[in-house]
Amino acid sequence: MMIPVRCFTCGTVIGEHWDEFKARAREGDEDPAEVLDDLGVTRACCRRMMVSHKDLVDVVSPYQ
Amino acid sequence: MVNDFQVEFIEREDRRARFVARGLTPALANGIRRAMVADVPTFSIDTVRFVENTSVMFDEMIGLRLGLVPLTTPLDDFEPGDTVTVALEVDGPATAYSGDIESADDMVVPADENIPIIELKEGQRLEFEADAVLGYGKDHAKNQGGVAVGYRHLQRVEVVGDAGEFDEQEPNILRGVIEEAAAEHAEGDAEDGDLVATETFGNDLTERYPGKEVEVHDVPEAFVFSVETDGSFDVDELVTRAVASLGDRAAELEEKVAL
Repeated sequence: MMIPVRCFTCGTVIGEHWDEFKARAREGDEDPAEVLDDLGVTRACCRRMMVSHKDLVDVVSPYQ
Repeated sequence: MVNDFQVEFIEREDRRARFVARGLTPALANGIRRAMVADVPTFSIDTVRFVENTSVMFDEMIGLRLGLVPLTTPLDDFEPGDTVTVALEVDGPATAYSGDIESADDMVVPADENIPIIELKEGQRLEFEADAVLGYGKDHAKNQGGVAVGYRHLQRVEVVGDAGEFDEQEPNILRGVIEEAAAEHAEGDAEDGDLVATETFGNDLTERYPGKEVEVHDVPEAFVFSVETDGSFDVDELVTRAVASLGDRAAELEEKVAL
């Protein structure tokens, strides 16, 4: 629903970088790999958290 | 039995560091690693009293997210078990961020300010008061100050001969830190005894020692620690506190079993 606060595997705080990642790689046209390198999200476990995430608040909110 | 330990830094930032420690037994190295994870307390939100939550998430889900937000922890000023009250109040449409959490104590504040807690739509509202407790990582993972803490052997690469002239050289991948032992064969400037992170040559020994046959050995009693913190405190604080807690427990054991 919302980006998890921490990486499931290693526990690094990744929620911190979500907004910038979203703006630059999802809505912008930058290469996600480069954005993640730039943000210092280096491990594969943390990168998959960002790459595979989907915000669902917009989907769920009408059914409140 | 008392050895001097030598510590050399390879990488040192606020939240991440890599260093070589010499003179440790494997048991002591692992003891330090475990102490970093479990025995250095950090503040973390523990009890949440919701005043209003009309967001799309249940109270429990928001409580879980709040617990994971790292809070700065000045360990000199607090004892384990101390609590600090924090509060948050956000009206939609807006996103509640960790930075919106207000703390009763300026020393205990969210270490990262851009963690989204919950996105609020028009008419939704989140208001709560919560207690942050100074607790241990061995009791709950949210209190772990060390993140991805580990160590591996320092390795020494020796050149034992030339690779066959017409042999296709396959990549020889090694990760970690090596202690230079064959500087005369290495690419670029190098001196024997240098500590070289393998990333500098693409983790591939054939890049550093082209056309050579090499052997890799562990250096005894030398460990490369890689330490990261969640932001509660810096790496120095984490490592020194962990080592101190190990020392305290050893002293306690000595006292308890004294004849």
